[in-house]
Amino acid sequence: MIIVKNLKRYYGTGKTAVRALKGVSFEIKKGEFVAIMGASGSGKTTLLRILALLDDATDGEYTIRGLEVSSLPEAERSYYRLTQVGYVFQDYALINEMSAAENVYILSMMEGKSRKESYATALEALDKVGLKDKHNRIPDELSGGEKQRVAIARAIAKKPDILFADEPCANLDTTNSKQVLDVFKELNEKYGQTIVMVTHELWHTEYVDRVITLEDGNLVSDEIKRNREE
Amino acid sequence: MIDDIRVGSLIAYCSVKRGNKKTLMFIVFVLSLIFMNLVFLPSMIGGMMVLFTGMMQDYPYGDIVIEPMDDNTYINNADSVLQKVRAVEGVRAATKRLDAGASIEHKQKVVGASITGLLPTEELEISQYPYIISEGDFLGELSRDEIIIGAMIAGTGFGSEIYDNLGEVRPGSLVDVTYSNGVKRTYKVKGIMEGSFELVDLNALVNYKEIEDVYGLEGSKATSVVVRVDKQGTEGQIKDKIREAGVNEQIFTWADKSETLIKQAMQSMGAIDTMSKFVSLIVGAALVLIIIYINVLNRKKEIGILKAVGITPRSIVLSYAFLSTFYVSLGILSGLILYFSLMFYFQANPVVFYETMEISPQIDPVLLIESIVTMLTLSVIAGILPAWSVSKESILKAIWGR
Repeated sequence: MIIVKNLKRYYGTGKTAVRALKGVSFEIKKGEFVAIMGASGSGKTTLLRILALLDDATDGEYTIRGLEVSSLPEAERSYYRLTQVGYVFQDYALINEMSAAENVYILSMMEGKSRKESYATALEALDKVGLKDKHNRIPDELSGGEKQRVAIARAIAKKPDILFADEPCANLDTTNSKQVLDVFKELNEKYGQTIVMVTHELWHTEYVDRVITLEDGNLVSDEIKRNREE
Repeated sequence: MIDDIRVGSLIAYCSVKRGNKKTLMFIVFVLSLIFMNLVFLPSMIGGMMVLFTGMMQDYPYGDIVIEPMDDNTYINNADSVLQKVRAVEGVRAATKRLDAGASIEHKQKVVGASITGLLPTEELEISQYPYIISEGDFLGELSRDEIIIGAMIAGTGFGSEIYDNLGEVRPGSLVDVTYSNGVKRTYKVKGIMEGSFELVDLNALVNYKEIEDVYGLEGSKATSVVVRVDKQGTEGQIKDKIREAGVNEQIFTWADKSETLIKQAMQSMGAIDTMSKFVSLIVGAALVLIIIYINVLNRKKEIGILKAVGITPRSIVLSYAFLSTFYVSLGILSGLILYFSLMFYFQANPVVFYETMEISPQIDPVLLIESIVTMLTLSVIAGILPAWSVSKESILKAIWGR
């Protein structure tokens, strides 16, 4: 589903250039739940942002379902972000002036669905993360874990091909982290959702199928934790 | 595009519904002051225009004035002209006048003045002259050897210290008038007129027959025929009807006269008005832009997030256009309430100008519509420009707030 070949990302030029990714290659199959791990500064967040089309690679190829997406013009990237890719930010990134449901259904409206249809989609997504009864709450009225679940609902409401999550539990305690990871696991197992999650917590790998480890901008290991076909 | 509009309006709606109400009130307050700045001074200047043109109508020109053809000093057979004019439908009253240049002397003080010879009873329906006598009485139909002196030249009214005056002339005082043809007459001052207007208070009035006698005029000559109409605004049509009635002299409406005389006097005022509008517009545009720009900068992260999740830049830009249009609409509404409150206050308590002239600001619907359209146009530009510039930035930079 995702093919990454020799992906590089440099910040700056010449001798002072920072090489965040030095040529990373891997493939991710449909329905896989993959964790990208590594120490701080290893390039894992940079890689995720490029995969989610939030940043550009300096060099290399990146295709989703055979489509070379890294060279798409901004308008098409925007459409791709809206329809094919879900992204969960570390700090939730919810719009504070919108309720949980509005944060979710705005994307369905952007896709051209009616307000009623969008609202139903949002409630369905919030139901999946266990927050249907709190659809009218604004982010300030929700706990950290609940905010992150709303962010997940926003990401999955449009039923994206791939869900990217950038350290989704970084700001959460263990209980809330488990809740979020359980949601991911259920999405992956029940709905076959492809998930790529950046994390630095070792215990999170218990939930995933595969762990890709980066070190200093290089891919140093690609370990299968659980074979889905077994 | 429709989806962009729907999403843009949802973002704007949520922003207003759940945004900080104190900030909203402050923005609306500032915008209402900007709107006031655009409309208040022009309304005051409009009030001055109305005051001055009103004075021109009430004293020298009426609603329509008929003057001799270019080379002639007088209208010959003014009575015939009056007969034709009075027969025109829509004419309320008409009278003839004779103007002459003269010097007036009292106790060795001499001033130059324009003296108007008029028919006192006819003036009751034509001008305000009979109603502005501050001391003594107005002329009667049979008044001879009597004169009404303007307060400024009499030395009793406001402005006397600016101009040469006769020094405390009172009703009953005797003055010597030497006309431009050298004829000298002594008149008893019957009254002092005070119109708070230089064209009135620097003049003097005598009976029409006095001027006729002094200049030896026969056959009902006049330097002007002054006409009042039943309904304001019909002057143009009535002017045409007078022409059609066979009057071949020069015919002017008060507006025609304003274009020549008042317009000159108001040119400097008009320049101030134009400059004021221009400066207000620049200041208004800058303030609206600053307010919206700060608003956009505060929401830079939000714009980045919206882009990151797939909201199109066009929706984001539209949301700010809607938002700033909403702010400005509320600002205009508050500004209108403030404006009308001030207008009603100043109409009840006019601004006193030259100590005696009372200026009531004029509510000009065209000016209001122009200002509203200007403000709304500005709001759209002010909303679009900063949001467009931020929406073009990279998603990550916007989210990081850089």
